[in-house]
Amino acid sequence: MAKVEVIDPNDPGKPNRPATYGETNRDIIRVLLTPSVGYFAAVLLSMVAMAIGGWAWYQQITWGMGVAGITHPTMWGVYIVTFVFWVGIGHAGTLISAILYLVRSRWRTGVYRASEAMTVFAVMTALLFPVLHLGRCWQAYWFFPYPNQRQLWLNFKSPLMWDVFAISTYFTVSVVFFYVGLVPDIAVFRDHSRGLVKKFYGLLAFGWRGTHRQWHHYMAAYGFFAAFAAPLVLSVHSVVSWDFAMAPTPGWHSTIFPPYFVAGAIFSGCAMVISLLMPMSYLFDWHKYVNTWHYENLAKMCLLTSGILTYAYGMEYFVSWYSQNPYEQSIFLWRADPSADYGWAFYLMVFCNCVAPLAWYSKKLRTNHISLFIVAAIINVGMWFERFNIIVSSLAHNFDPATWWYYWPSTVEWGVLIGSAGWFFFWFLLFVKSFPAIAITEIKEMVEPPVKGSL
Amino acid sequence: MATAVRIKAVYNHLDCLLTGIDRLKREGYTGFDVQAPLPRHEIEEIMYEGKPSPVRWWTMTGAIIGLCAGFGITSLTHSAWPMINPGGKPTVAPVPFAVIMFEATILVGALFTGLGMIIHCGLPAFFIDKSLQDPRMTDSSFGITFTKANAAQQEAIIDLLSKSGAVEVTTGDDTFYEVPNA
Repeated sequence: MAKVEVIDPNDPGKPNRPATYGETNRDIIRVLLTPSVGYFAAVLLSMVAMAIGGWAWYQQITWGMGVAGITHPTMWGVYIVTFVFWVGIGHAGTLISAILYLVRSRWRTGVYRASEAMTVFAVMTALLFPVLHLGRCWQAYWFFPYPNQRQLWLNFKSPLMWDVFAISTYFTVSVVFFYVGLVPDIAVFRDHSRGLVKKFYGLLAFGWRGTHRQWHHYMAAYGFFAAFAAPLVLSVHSVVSWDFAMAPTPGWHSTIFPPYFVAGAIFSGCAMVISLLMPMSYLFDWHKYVNTWHYENLAKMCLLTSGILTYAYGMEYFVSWYSQNPYEQSIFLWRADPSADYGWAFYLMVFCNCVAPLAWYSKKLRTNHISLFIVAAIINVGMWFERFNIIVSSLAHNFDPATWWYYWPSTVEWGVLIGSAGWFFFWFLLFVKSFPAIAITEIKEMVEPPVKGSL
Repeated sequence: MATAVRIKAVYNHLDCLLTGIDRLKREGYTGFDVQAPLPRHEIEEIMYEGKPSPVRWWTMTGAIIGLCAGFGITSLTHSAWPMINPGGKPTVAPVPFAVIMFEATILVGALFTGLGMIIHCGLPAFFIDKSLQDPRMTDSSFGITFTKANAAQQEAIIDLLSKSGAVEVTTGDDTFYEVPNA
C-alpha cells in the first residue's frame, strides 16, 4: 500500500504554511469580504489614470499621430519603450510559475498566482501599444494573416511579424496556463459561497470536483503547460530584442541583445512582483503566505539579473571599442556623455539597474520591507529608462548627422503611459479581490497531510 | 438485473483513505471515485499504478500539427506572394520561418494539451453525479464514492469502508453538505 509522504522537517517553507487544509481555504477566501478604504482608493486612482490614458488616445485618434512626439528620425518613442517595458514585466510571472515549478522551487508557491496574473495583465497592457502606435488603430487586424482578395500576406521574414506571433502565443499560453491553475481554486471559492456568487464561481470552475481522474489528467497537463511555457519565457523577449538587433542601427545591431533582454525582463518582472505583492500582503493580511522569505528570494533573483545586466552594459562598450566600428563607438560614447541630450537617462539607468540593487547584498536590507519596496520601485523606473535609452538615443543619433534630432515625449504620450499603468493596476486590483491570488491547492501541498497513524 | 446504489465514505485522514482504496482493490471492487482537496501522488499511485495520462498524446499531436501549420502558413503565403524577398533570402526561408514554426508548435501544443485535459477530466462536469458534489472535498476531507454500486454488495462495501477509518458512510441521495463556516 502507498505510504503517506511527510514533508521534510528542514523545509524552509515550514514556518510559512498553515496548519490544516481548511485553514488555508478560510484564510484566502477572506479576500471576498468587504474591502478596505485603501483598496477602493487604489481602484479609484487606477481609474483616474485610465481616464487620462483614454483622453490621450482620444486626442490621437481625433488629431492624428502628429500629437504624439514621435517624428523622423525618432519614429519609435514612448509607445515602443512602454511596450517593451510591459512585455518585460510580463516575464517574471511565467518564469516563477513555469520554470520554478519544473525545478520544484518551494518559495514560488506563495507568489506564483499573483505573478501569473501580473503576466497576463502586463501582456494585455503591452498589446495596447502596437495598436496605439499604428495611429489608425481600427486597422489593427492587418497584423494577422487572413485570406483576402488580393492575396496580400504578411512578411514572415520580418522580426516585427515574429514579434506579433511571439507575443500572441505568449499571451494565449499564459492565459491558458493561468486559468488551468485557477480552476481547482475557483472550485474552493464556489464551495464557500452562496447564491449568485456561487453560480458565478461554479460556472468558472467547470464543475471541478477533485476526483482522482480529474487530478490525474490535470497534473499531467499542468506539467506539459509548464514545459511549454518555460522555453516560451526565454524566447519571447529574445524575439522582442530582435525587433532591434535585426536592424543595422548603431546601438541595436548586437548579438548580445537576446540574453540581455531576457535578463532585463526577469529583473524588472521580479521587482514588479515585490512592488505589487507587498502592498497587497498588507492590504489583505497575507503575511502567512507571502512574507520576507518570498521577498528575499525575489530580491536574490533581482541581484543575479542585475549582475547580468551590468555585465551586458559593460560588454556593449567593450564590443563597440573592440569592433573599431566608428558608428558603434560614436553612439555609445554619445550615450555616456553627461552633457549629451540623453546622458542623464543613461546615468539614471545605470544607477537604478546596477547601483541601487547592490543594497540587497546586505541581508539586513534584503529582508527589510521598506528597503525592498523602495529599491524595487527604483528598478522599475530604471528598466523603463533602459528601454528609453536603447530605443530613443539610437534613433535620435543615427548614421547621418543631418538627421539628428532631439525627441521628447508629448503630453499625449505621457498620458498614454499613465493610462497604461492605470489599465494594468485596475485589472490586477479587480483580480486580487475576486479570485484566489494565492494558490490554495499548492499551499495545501505544503501542509502536513492529516494522518491518523494506526488502524 | 441488480439495482444500483450510491455509497459514499468521507475520510478526515489520508492514510485511512489509502487503506480504504487498498482494501477495495484487494476485494476486487471497481467503479469508484476518489476525491481529494489537493493532488496527492499516493492516491495517483494506488489508483493508476504508474499508468501515465493520455494527455501526453494530445500534447504531441498538437505540437506536430503546430509545427506543420507554422511551416505551412509561412511557406504557402510567401509562395503566393513571392515578391517579398528581404536581404536576398529565398522565398521559402527556413531560418526566419523557424521562429514562427516554434511559436506555432508551442501554441497549438498548449491548446491541444488543454483540450485533452478537458476531455479526459470530463469537464465541464456541471451534471456530475450528486454524490460527488460535496463541498467538503475541496475543503479538508477525502472521499470514496460508488455512484453505481451493486445493491447486493452494499453491506460488504459499507462494512469495508467503515473499518478502514471513514468518519461517515452514507447511501442513497442524502449527500448534501455545507462546508463549516462557509
